[in-house]
Amino acid sequence: MAISSSSNLAKEEQKLALKLLIPAFLILIIIALYPLGQVFYTSFTNREFASSTETEFVGLDNYKALLSVTVKELPPVIDEETGEQAVDEETGEAVFERPIRVLPRDPHLYRPSFEFSFFGNKYVVGARTPDFIRAVWNTLLFTFFSVFFETVLGLIVALVVNSEFKGRGAMRAVMLVPWAVITVVSARMWEWMFEPTRAGLFNMLGDRFGLIDGSFAFLSNNALQLPAIIAVDVWKTTPFMALLILAGLQMIPGELYEAAEVDGASKLRQFFNITLPLLKPSLAVALIFRTLDALRVFDVFQVMLSQKRYSMASFNYFQLISARQMGMASAIGVIIFIIIFAFAILYMKSLGVDTE
Amino acid sequence: MTREQKEKLRKVLFYFVLAVIVIYLLFPFYWAIVSSLKSEAQLSMTPATLIPRDPETGEISFFTRNYRAIFANGGFVRGLINSTIVATSTTILALLTGSFAAFALGKLRFKGKAPALYVILAMTMFPQVTVLSGLYAVINALNLSARVSMIFTYLLFTLPFTTWVLTSFFRDLPNEIMQSAQVDGATPFQTFYMILLPLTAPALVTTGLLSFIQAWNEYLFALTFTSIDPSARTVPVAIQFFSGEFARQEPFGEIMAAAVMVTVPIVVLVLIFQKRIVAGLTAGAVKG
Repeated sequence: MAISSSSNLAKEEQKLALKLLIPAFLILIIIALYPLGQVFYTSFTNREFASSTETEFVGLDNYKALLSVTVKELPPVIDEETGEQAVDEETGEAVFERPIRVLPRDPHLYRPSFEFSFFGNKYVVGARTPDFIRAVWNTLLFTFFSVFFETVLGLIVALVVNSEFKGRGAMRAVMLVPWAVITVVSARMWEWMFEPTRAGLFNMLGDRFGLIDGSFAFLSNNALQLPAIIAVDVWKTTPFMALLILAGLQMIPGELYEAAEVDGASKLRQFFNITLPLLKPSLAVALIFRTLDALRVFDVFQVMLSQKRYSMASFNYFQLISARQMGMASAIGVIIFIIIFAFAILYMKSLGVDTE
Repeated sequence: MTREQKEKLRKVLFYFVLAVIVIYLLFPFYWAIVSSLKSEAQLSMTPATLIPRDPETGEISFFTRNYRAIFANGGFVRGLINSTIVATSTTILALLTGSFAAFALGKLRFKGKAPALYVILAMTMFPQVTVLSGLYAVINALNLSARVSMIFTYLLFTLPFTTWVLTSFFRDLPNEIMQSAQVDGATPFQTFYMILLPLTAPALVTTGLLSFIQAWNEYLFALTFTSIDPSARTVPVAIQFFSGEFARQEPFGEIMAAAVMVTVPIVVLVLIFQKRIVAGLTAGAVKG
C-alpha cells in the first residue's frame, strides 16, 4: 500500500513536471526550432521575399555562391623601357596587374575581396560574394580584438575594485553605467565623439595634444573603422567582463594570499601563482559568453557603418531586408550558426568547462 | 626609498589608476549629456568645448530645447511607448512560463530532466541572427503585427535565461518546505504557487529586470520586424532613424538628448537593484 502510494506520487510528480514544462518548450519550438528548420530548408532554395517568381530547389548553390574563394597571384606590370617592374611615380610603390584581369569570369564572376603581399609577391583573394567573405573576416577580427581587450581591461578593473579602498561601493555602481546604456545608444554616442571635425571629441583632443590634425574621419577611413567599432564595444562590455571576473576573484580564499605573504612571495608572483590559476574557470565562462556574443555582433556595425562594412549578422540583415534574398539570407544564417557552434564546442573542449 | 615612501607611492598610483578607470567608464556618458545641452551652433563649434559655452562670448550657457524637441517628436514618444509595451509583456510572459519550467526543473523529479536542462542551457547561447529569416517568414505568413512579433520573438532570449537562473534558485530552496506542505495535504502545484513562488520573489525581480533590460536593448529583431510598420518602432530603432525638427543634418543634439532620456531610467533602476543585478548577471552570464 505504502509502496503504491509513493509510486503514485512519483507518477503525479512526473505528470505535473511535464505539464509545467509544456508552455516553455512549446514556445521555444515555435520561435527557435521551427524557424531554424525553416532556415535550413530555405537555404537550399532560391526563395525571394515578396516576389512572384517560383521558388526552386537549388541544392548547395547559395553556399557555393557565398563561400567560393580563389587566391590568384597578381603578375607585376613590366615597364617596357626598362624591362623591370613598373613603379608608381607618385607613391613609389611597385605596380601590379589589376585584380579584375586575373580573377576567373566563367562560369561565375569572381570579384576581389582583399589583397595581400607575401615575399614581395602580391596576391588577390577573389570571391563570388566578396562582401560576405569580408564580413566573416571583419567579424573574426572584431571578435578577437574586442574579447582580448575586454578581458585584459576587465581583469585590471576587477583587480582594482577587489582591493580595499574608500568608495568601493560607489565604484561598483559606476561600473554598471556603460552596461546599462543601450547598445544602439552607445553606438550613437561614440559616433558623435568620432565626428570627423574638431566638433568631435577625439579630433578635438587629438588636435589639442598635437597628435592628429583634427579632421580624422574615423568611420569613413577604412583602416580606422574596425578599431573605432572595437573601441565602442570594449567600452560597453568591459564592465560586464569585470563583474564576471570579480565574482571569480571573490571566491579565492584570502588565506592563500596570507600564506604567500608569510613565505615572502611578491605581489606579482602571487598574481601569477595564485590569482590567475584559480581564476581560470570564471575567465573561461566569461570568454565563452563574450566570444559567442561578439561573433553575432549586429548593433554597432549596423548603426555606425551600415553598408560601409558588414559583420556577418549585418550582412544577413541586408540580404534579407534590402536585397530580399531569403534563400541567400538563410544560407548565411546557417553558416553563422555553424561558426558559432564550432566555437562553442572548441571552447568547451579546450577549457573543460563544467556545465553544471 | 624608505618603506613609507614606497607605500605612499603605491597609494598614489592606485588612486591614479582608479581615476583613469572612472573617467574612462563615465566620460562618454558625460559627453552625451553635455552635447544634449548644446544648440546646433554650439555643437558645431571647433574646437568642441567640455561644457556648453556661448559661441560668441565663451560664457557657459545651457540649451534645453533639445529635450523639448524630442518630446514633441512623435517618433520618439511612440518609441518609448512601444518599448515599454513590448519589454513589459515579454518579461511577464517569460517570468510566467519560465517559473513554471524552473519549478519543474529545480524541484520535481521526473524522467528526462537532464536533457531538458541541457536544452535550456544551450538555448541561452542560441544566436538569434540565424533564425532571422525564418522568423520573418513565419511572421509574414501568420500576418502578425510587429509589436506582437517582437513580444513573442524576444522570448527567444528572455525565456531560456529566466528559466536557467530561476531553476538554480528553486533548487537551492530547502526540500523540507515542500515536504511539510505535502504533509499538510497541499498538492505540488499548490506548494509551488502558494509557498515557493513568494519565496522566489527576489529572484523574480532580478530576472525580470534583466529580461526587461535585454528586451529594451534589442535591435536586430526590432529593426527587421518594424521595417514594414514604422509606427511600431521601439526606442533603439527610433533613435537610429532620428530625424530632427530643427537640424539640417544629423541632429546630434536631439539624438544625445534622446540617448540621455532612455539611459537615465535604466541607470537609476540598475543602481537601485545593483546587488541583485550583479548576482543575476554572474549567475546567467548575460550581456545587455
